[in-house]
Amino acid sequence: MDLDKLRKTAAEIVSRDDVKYLIGWRRGTFGYRVSPHFVRDAAGADELIFSPLCISNLANYLTLVEKLPVPRGQEPDTRKVALMVKGCDSRAVAQLLAEKGIKREEVVVVGLPCPGMIDRKLLAEKYPETEQAAEIRWRGEDFVLVDGEEETVIPRAEVLAEKCRLCRHPNPVLSDVTVGEPVEPWAAAEDSGVAEIMAKNAEERWAYWEEQFSKCIRCYSCKNACPLCYCEDCILDRLDPIWVNRSVNFSENTAFHLARAFHLAGRCIECGECERVCPAGIPLGKLNRMLAQTVREEYEFEPGLDPEAEPFQASYKPDDPEEFIL
Amino acid sequence: MSAKLLHKEKWSEFTGRLSGKNLWAPAVQGEVKKFVPVAEGETVSLEGGNTTVPPKALIFPQTETLYRFSRGEEEPEPPAIDEEMVLLGVRPCDARAMALVEKLFRWDFDDPYYLKRRELTTLIGLACNEPEINCFCPSVGGSPASTEGLDILMTDLGESYLLEVLTDKGKAIAGAVEDLLEEAPAEALKQKEKLAEEALAGIKWSVDPEGIPEALPQLWEDPLWERVSAPCLGCGICTYLCPTCYCFDIQDEVEGSAGRRCRSWDSCMFAEYTVHTSGHNPRPSRRERTRNRINHKYSYFVDKFGEIACVGCGRCSSLCPVNIDLIDILRQVKAAQ
Amino acid sequence: MKNYENPYIPHTATIEDTWYETAGDRCIKTFKVVLDDPAVRESWSHRPGQCAMIGLLGVGESMISISSSPTEKGYLRFSVLQAGKVTSALHQLEAGDKITVRGPYGNSFPVDDWKGKEILTVGGGIGQAPLRPIVEYVKANLSDYAGLTTIYGARTSEDLCFKGEFGEMEKIDGVCCHLSVDIEEEGWPHYVGFVPSLLMEVNPSPENTIAITCGPPIMIRFVLENLKKLNFADEQIYTTLENRMKCGIGKCGRCNAGSLYVCKDGPVFSYAALKDVPEAFA
Repeated sequence: MDLDKLRKTAAEIVSRDDVKYLIGWRRGTFGYRVSPHFVRDAAGADELIFSPLCISNLANYLTLVEKLPVPRGQEPDTRKVALMVKGCDSRAVAQLLAEKGIKREEVVVVGLPCPGMIDRKLLAEKYPETEQAAEIRWRGEDFVLVDGEEETVIPRAEVLAEKCRLCRHPNPVLSDVTVGEPVEPWAAAEDSGVAEIMAKNAEERWAYWEEQFSKCIRCYSCKNACPLCYCEDCILDRLDPIWVNRSVNFSENTAFHLARAFHLAGRCIECGECERVCPAGIPLGKLNRMLAQTVREEYEFEPGLDPEAEPFQASYKPDDPEEFIL
Repeated sequence: MSAKLLHKEKWSEFTGRLSGKNLWAPAVQGEVKKFVPVAEGETVSLEGGNTTVPPKALIFPQTETLYRFSRGEEEPEPPAIDEEMVLLGVRPCDARAMALVEKLFRWDFDDPYYLKRRELTTLIGLACNEPEINCFCPSVGGSPASTEGLDILMTDLGESYLLEVLTDKGKAIAGAVEDLLEEAPAEALKQKEKLAEEALAGIKWSVDPEGIPEALPQLWEDPLWERVSAPCLGCGICTYLCPTCYCFDIQDEVEGSAGRRCRSWDSCMFAEYTVHTSGHNPRPSRRERTRNRINHKYSYFVDKFGEIACVGCGRCSSLCPVNIDLIDILRQVKAAQ
Repeated sequence: MKNYENPYIPHTATIEDTWYETAGDRCIKTFKVVLDDPAVRESWSHRPGQCAMIGLLGVGESMISISSSPTEKGYLRFSVLQAGKVTSALHQLEAGDKITVRGPYGNSFPVDDWKGKEILTVGGGIGQAPLRPIVEYVKANLSDYAGLTTIYGARTSEDLCFKGEFGEMEKIDGVCCHLSVDIEEEGWPHYVGFVPSLLMEVNPSPENTIAITCGPPIMIRFVLENLKKLNFADEQIYTTLENRMKCGIGKCGRCNAGSLYVCKDGPVFSYAALKDVPEAFA
């Protein structure tokens, strides 16, 4: 990755009068951590990185930012937000556009073809994290951990994130500027996680998810990290009536996760953020991919590829399968 | 205070005996390490770092019933809290946190739920010989071998554990397994001192909190809050998994003609935490909410109770999915002063 | 083991009488309630300005200011604006129905320190509810005070609370009443305009006077500004704050403005104490 070019491009973008800030990544404060970086001026662009640790999807910030009332006598700030996106992240932007959650003129999309990201937890198991912020680069198929003069090659297969093994869209599906050459898509692995669950009977599946949902502490990190969970009036925050109680137990937790999963069916772009941020280790990616796979196979629909597409849940075809209607 | 030695060959008998006393100890379940009940005869391993979920969850459960009620009955019925509990392997930071939180739960109105459970619980601590990356307890008045809040402090001496018995509750536990213990020789205590010093030296992060409580209110409108809160997801990880966070919500749950009023952990990082019925929110964005979280721990609690409400366990920094790092924020506060 | 008293368990009370103060979407209904347990009734004592958690089992609780003065014996009054889930459920209730009450909570107006002074209340809308106990208290102990002036306004005359009480008040020597509505209406004999402007019209002297204001945030802001214009010192101005609350006893965390918990350190604050509290007027 040509970081100079990335930073120069970013500096140019944030210097534009019509751009409020640019969201990218910067090195974290320790270990394999990377933090979202809000670049507000050209100098801030120097801290930007794009490395195999930049796994997080920044598209959620497009809708996470609070819409505060404009103080009297002030004009609303209508400047654009610039956003760095990998292939998967760009699908979130495309889906947000398709749903009219954001407008095209509100964003500047900086596309970054992505050779695949590292699962930090897998990495830390084999190469323990230290208080130093580590530097990791791509090299050929593999990754390399750089510590001054010392370089350690980390084989791709050891640490590649699950969502990247399954990736079908490593190149951004839309962008205003692209930094880097398109990557050759690799053969997506079979989704063994989903296959494993699909092979279970209904009872076994229930037992599996009961165990998983029981672990939930309801911190809502999955909901907040999800670029497509952005309803202003979320059913889960409703107090009157209360659809999901605040008390933490299997029943309420399940109501929460299933409500979220169904609301994401045909909308989830499989960026894996829900699962990545979960402090309880609930395989939420699997849950959402099960639904995505059903939508893809049964309805021949894949969200987040075409910003002009009619949203799945708002479209109907006379030959839609309806086996689920009892 | 007395000091005893427990040889490790007697460890399983030690824990086996305690397991009859409603014993809880850390265990890894999937990706999460937390305190779980130890079944009779089950072995306990104290290997590895601190738990993901702090032991506060046992004294202040994530959801608990305040009382039950049913239509027609006049008197709401609070649940009985009468079961004794022994927690084994509590880290000194988490025990200090309980001592801090107790100040709040005693402030003017005694909170019977918290205080009763705390009274019924014996804390057997484990000194941290190997601090973790984000530990910074000495910066906020703790240490890897702090005894505050504990009934017994254990130190792993390699072949054996040193048990420093600190309170009457500790004495009762030591008395119940007296035949497994021997008087600790002077060398054992010396070895413990040495390990504690080494552990202290092994702590990587530090920040001098001097001046922070006074500086924070002055930095109310400082741009640092916009900066540090920009990546925040507004989730509850940093607060739910913080050993000194205690905020809660109260909700009624009804089924048929009976119901319960229960309290559940809440988080100042959630938007609806402060929202008025009118829709007005005095803390309308993550900026104000982040500012409140830091101010509460490092200024408001100091105002009220004379101590910083942070024990330096590092969980918030380690567990934040977007690397919002408390030490980094505190350093920015100091720099902005 | 110690047996702790349980401050979360409420008392039951019976609604003796109830009436609407105002109509409309966000109407205000007053409840006159009597605590059921004679021992509790006997030991109950509150000071003007204090609040109580009132509610319904199965629905929830809401912190409401006690709008009766301690000088009104044997019952408690609450005037409740219909806004959220709990207050809407309360509005369904009629005389004979039960509610739960716990409290009294919070601090109160320092009525003893104010002896010998002229008391000025400036209220708007439902904001007159926390002011009513002080008005009633001073009225009942008028010989201890230099006088009482009440300025109170609402959007329309329909939105004024305690309408029936002001006419009687005016007749008392040493008591002045000034009412206003925001919008001109037929037959309205009093001031038309906003409360802060009425305050300027009344033009009270700051000398030996305590001003207490309560109402919508925007009104409070302008009343404070105008009181400053009238040369009231920060120490002479009092207001009450409200924030979202759940426990009412300083535990649940959410009602803080800076390091002050509104439920315990408040709701009554002098402007001198509040003006440097960062979130006080957020």
